[in-house]
Amino acid sequence: MLHEKKKFDTVTKTIQATPHQGSRKDFLREVMKLPGGEKILECIQCGSCAGGCPTRFAMDYSPMQIIKMINLGMKKEVLSSSTIWICSTCYTCSSRCPRDVGFATLMMALKNKAIQENMVKNPINSKFHRYFFEVVNKYGKLHEPSLFLKLLDKTDINGLRSNLGLGLRLLKKGKLEMRAKKIEQTSILSAMLEKTDERGTS
Amino acid sequence: MKYAFYPGCSSQSTAKEYENSVKAISEVLDIELVEVPGWNCCGAIDAVYSFKPLYSIALAARNLAIAEKMQMDLTTPCSACYFTLSKTNSILKEDSEKKTKVNEALQTAGLSYNGGVKVRHFADVIFSDIGLQKIKEKVKAPLTALKVASYYGCFLVRPSSICSFDNPEHPTHLDDLAETLGASPVDYYGKTRCCGASLGFTDEDIMLKMSKEILLSAKNAGADCMATACPLCHFNLDARQKDIESHFNIRIDLPVLHFTQLMGLAFGIEPKQLGLNRNCVSPNNISPLAVARASNKT
Amino acid sequence: MATLPQKLSIGVFVCHCGGNISDTVDMAQVKNSISSIDSVKVAESFEYVCSNPGQEMIKKAVKEQSLDRVVVASCSPRMHLETFRQAVKSAGMNPYFLEMVNIREQCSWVHDDRAKATNKATALIRAAVQRAQYLEPLTPSKLKVTESVLIIGGGIAGINSALELADKGYQVYLAERNPSIGGHMSQLSKTFPTFDCSACILTPRMVSVAQHPNIKILTNAEPTSIKGSAGNYEVNVRIKPRYVDATKCIACGECTLKCPIKKPSSFEENLLEEKAIYRPFKQAIPNASVIDKDYCLHFTKGVCGICQKLCKSEAINFEQQEEQMELKVGAIIVSTGYNLIDTKLVGQYSFGFHPDIVTNLQFERLMLQGLHRPSNGEMPKKVAFILCVGSRAITADGVAYCCKIGCMTAIKQALLLEKTVPEAEPWIFYTDVRAHGKGYEEFYAKAREHLTVFVRGRAAEVISNGNSLVVKAEDTLLGKHVEESFDLVVLSPALIPSKGAKELSEMLGIDLGPDGFFMEAHHKLRGVETKREGIYIAGAAQGPKDVRETTMESMAAASKVATFLGKGEISVSPEVAYLIPERCNLCGNCIEKCPTKAINKGKNEIVIDPVSCIGCGSCVPICPKEALDLKNTTEKQLIAQIKGIAEGESSTLKIVAFTEKMTAYGSADLGGQSRRSYSPEIRIVRLPSIGRLGIKHILHAFAAGADGIIFVEGDDSVLKEDKLRELVIKFKKELGKFGIQPLRLQSTTTTLPQYEKIFVLFDDFVERIKKMGSLTTEKREEIKKYLENAKNAA
Repeated sequence: MLHEKKKFDTVTKTIQATPHQGSRKDFLREVMKLPGGEKILECIQCGSCAGGCPTRFAMDYSPMQIIKMINLGMKKEVLSSSTIWICSTCYTCSSRCPRDVGFATLMMALKNKAIQENMVKNPINSKFHRYFFEVVNKYGKLHEPSLFLKLLDKTDINGLRSNLGLGLRLLKKGKLEMRAKKIEQTSILSAMLEKTDERGTS
Repeated sequence: MKYAFYPGCSSQSTAKEYENSVKAISEVLDIELVEVPGWNCCGAIDAVYSFKPLYSIALAARNLAIAEKMQMDLTTPCSACYFTLSKTNSILKEDSEKKTKVNEALQTAGLSYNGGVKVRHFADVIFSDIGLQKIKEKVKAPLTALKVASYYGCFLVRPSSICSFDNPEHPTHLDDLAETLGASPVDYYGKTRCCGASLGFTDEDIMLKMSKEILLSAKNAGADCMATACPLCHFNLDARQKDIESHFNIRIDLPVLHFTQLMGLAFGIEPKQLGLNRNCVSPNNISPLAVARASNKT
Repeated sequence: MATLPQKLSIGVFVCHCGGNISDTVDMAQVKNSISSIDSVKVAESFEYVCSNPGQEMIKKAVKEQSLDRVVVASCSPRMHLETFRQAVKSAGMNPYFLEMVNIREQCSWVHDDRAKATNKATALIRAAVQRAQYLEPLTPSKLKVTESVLIIGGGIAGINSALELADKGYQVYLAERNPSIGGHMSQLSKTFPTFDCSACILTPRMVSVAQHPNIKILTNAEPTSIKGSAGNYEVNVRIKPRYVDATKCIACGECTLKCPIKKPSSFEENLLEEKAIYRPFKQAIPNASVIDKDYCLHFTKGVCGICQKLCKSEAINFEQQEEQMELKVGAIIVSTGYNLIDTKLVGQYSFGFHPDIVTNLQFERLMLQGLHRPSNGEMPKKVAFILCVGSRAITADGVAYCCKIGCMTAIKQALLLEKTVPEAEPWIFYTDVRAHGKGYEEFYAKAREHLTVFVRGRAAEVISNGNSLVVKAEDTLLGKHVEESFDLVVLSPALIPSKGAKELSEMLGIDLGPDGFFMEAHHKLRGVETKREGIYIAGAAQGPKDVRETTMESMAAASKVATFLGKGEISVSPEVAYLIPERCNLCGNCIEKCPTKAINKGKNEIVIDPVSCIGCGSCVPICPKEALDLKNTTEKQLIAQIKGIAEGESSTLKIVAFTEKMTAYGSADLGGQSRRSYSPEIRIVRLPSIGRLGIKHILHAFAAGADGIIFVEGDDSVLKEDKLRELVIKFKKELGKFGIQPLRLQSTTTTLPQYEKIFVLFDDFVERIKKMGSLTTEKREEIKKYLENAKNAA
């Protein structure tokens, strides 16, 4: 998973003049209904969130800009941003926001929305969540080797090499359980999945 | 003191030594931990949620439903699980529609959840229920001259509405604990800064940078070692330290212990029993003075 | 105790209003119908009754026909009530025997159907005639006032008001909680935007206060209780001991020099220490020492006493006791000022973790101490000013409002920094720069000219990095991360009311606003008055503001006090609540209900203060023993009027619209002025407040002939929307017992600009009642019987 080293100059995206995409209120209302979206309109664009965010340096849009864009109904830009995936849900922004905007919680919901609407910027992000789900749904617990294997990009030689290094290191320390420890009642997992009626969320 | 114990998935693999040390010191402190029978993955913050939100809440709720029958507070040593389970409580409390739907799903497993389980981080159990006084009494081999940079990370202290163990900007509880063990707590920038969490899987460069900053900050403040309270933070700071070093072409050499391992050392428990051989960055590099005293268990 | 009214002679005068009324309402028919009412002796109509000849006509009739009551049916009483009252008064009749009927704004101007308008006008006049039977002679009383004033709070607001009033000749008591007057302004270095030296413009006023023969300064003083009413308040003030006799102390400073105990100085905002015996600051008034008994060894350990031994004036008195003073004053001004929020609460800025992170008030002190870094005494070069620390926040650690002075203070301090320190580099981290006052925008421009760096972005955190401080923020205009080191960080904390505002507001019976500051009577037009007559507010006690606005308000408050007390007496309206003592069982419900605290328990009786009573009538219906009534809207008067309005041919639907007399009634008049037509089924009854009504009146209305009832209250009246709704819901519940549908009642509040709202409601309601149809005669009989039985049982 070690990709080529990226440089992280703060990227200032010029927001193109396509706000008010007809459905401005629709998207805004949609997002306001999501967990964390209740107080979007309270935002005074102070920028405290952006200033304290530990991963902002790698985002295309700052947290503050995301809120502004939601307000303007810029659905495409918001859901296809890298911001929602780079957010590590550390809650630094939410704990400092003077207007009580639940940004971190909202990012979690927007991740799901981006997957639903098929607007995920970097495929590895949606893959990670899908595979995590698949492993947990199968065993009831996370089995790291299964997840690693699924995520492995067999065409990335450098990545493979360093991942191998990490894997061996972990094995040596007994930190990798090659055998998955299932929960006893794995059958209930699919029953629960069916009941929560979220099939087909690709 | 008896608690329902939720180990978290990492305890089975990458953080086995964490659970070992938790169990070891619990014995010394007369804490009875009853593992939640048949527990499953909590959903890991947004790991499952991003893909299947309602299913994710149901997964977490299943653990709570089982624990509810045990009629005890539930404790977990993993900050991510602590947050996920606490947030689940909060979601089900505020959204009656979700509560109904989740209970419908739980019903297929013959369970239901009413919202009555209090979720506590294990550090909170130590600090609030056991108390520093009692801990001091159990210290046999004080960690004198050991400079410890306690790392709180995110969910031990944020968001305050759900995770309120300590002050979100200037927490002190783990430092006070380190002091009680005889060590010298080190103040440094980054003790509540995010380690990068699961970005290590998808956007590794970012996670490595974030953890690097924390490690260097602690090291530059003179720390001999760090103490963590979350297996994922520990993994990023310890197991990935070598990757950080090679990625940025630097040396760090800062051992990272689980805070319970530190406690165990101070209590005079065998390092092996605390799983110290599993820590990737060898704790043997800690100031010989401290290690000598620590291994001099009476 | 029903007594039949004696046979009265009532004169009714109907105005044509130059066609405004007579074009729609058939004068002849009205006169005809009215004269057939028993006790109506005179029924005349005239072109313009308000004109001189019109008034003469009335006066003549009063004298020659020996009229007992006069009813004038014309325009809105809001126009000419006083005119006609004066007219009958000059004819020898008590002015409260005059009743007006609104058949213009609320009849001829809003109804098109001649026949219906005429019927309605007749009904309204008949109701007035019936009410007139029960009118009583009333006289406004005159109350002598105490010509002295208590000012609570000795900052710039209190000082200004004190001087204004003292110069006007009033005896002023200036009570200040701290050992010296002066307030926060005494701590400031320079004021914006003129760079006046704050102490230089303040202290001469402080000295004037001390020297003014009409001002008595009370320090270490706080009010503890208040009795009485507007014009005659009795306030108990507690004065804590200074342990120094201020009249003997010559402020030589020997005691302070030799005192062995140090403590943090609150005047210096805890940046420096002072002794346990100290003078608050150099220009303190009274210019005398004071002992802090929490630190003084004499009090903590029973030793020392060096100061007393040294004092040549023998001014030190460890035995000094607390004093209680009973002040009799006519008016009170609350000028208690503000406080800074507990800045530690906004943890991201690490206040308290490094000595070089200070508040803007502390920075003022630093500038006056000789600008330096608290950590090492060196000159600070690079200084960060962080705005909005706790302000504009809806989270638990903050307040929702803007502190108003933060931006200007930071700009001022940045400019002063540059004047003081060569090569200084001030950075201001802001969300919005608010430069609203005179000269403020230009001042802001000056800061930019002088190379202050403005970063648009509320700082995210302040980190202490050994010798320096790091501020992290995002420059949101550039989208770039900012991470800079500074020698000093100055925080701009939110402003909150002074400690004890809540308790003081409860003690005085005035309100706090949702922001916790004292609440003015009207946002725009009555900014220094409160809901209680004779009590005023000025300065930051009302909300954060700068010295200029504070001074304006203190002048306004002084002016209001002078007007209030100016004649030496005040006129008290006779339209107040009164007790029927033999019925009262001292349950105290009325005391709780009264919105102006006019009702209190005396020795063994309920006492109503006519000065504080605003005549809303809320106390009347809640008395379980019917022991209260309201002058000029008495039970008898009201019920007679209701019956009169609701009676009449059963073929027409009748809707009684109770309206509160100022805003709601005024809104109805506005509609009339705009000729906004609505259905004549609506008949308006003017009340002091809807709170005056009890279920009894509703039942009377339905029994007499009403088919629907509307309640309209002014938005700014004492009965607020939620309470109004509660009241009407209660009515609906009661009516349910008689099988009357709840939809026959409707309520709303309104403001004058929203008057159209009432008419939309009228239209909809009429439609609704038309569909529901009239109440049956049997139902009305049932209610009548119930009311009869209730009356007999009482």
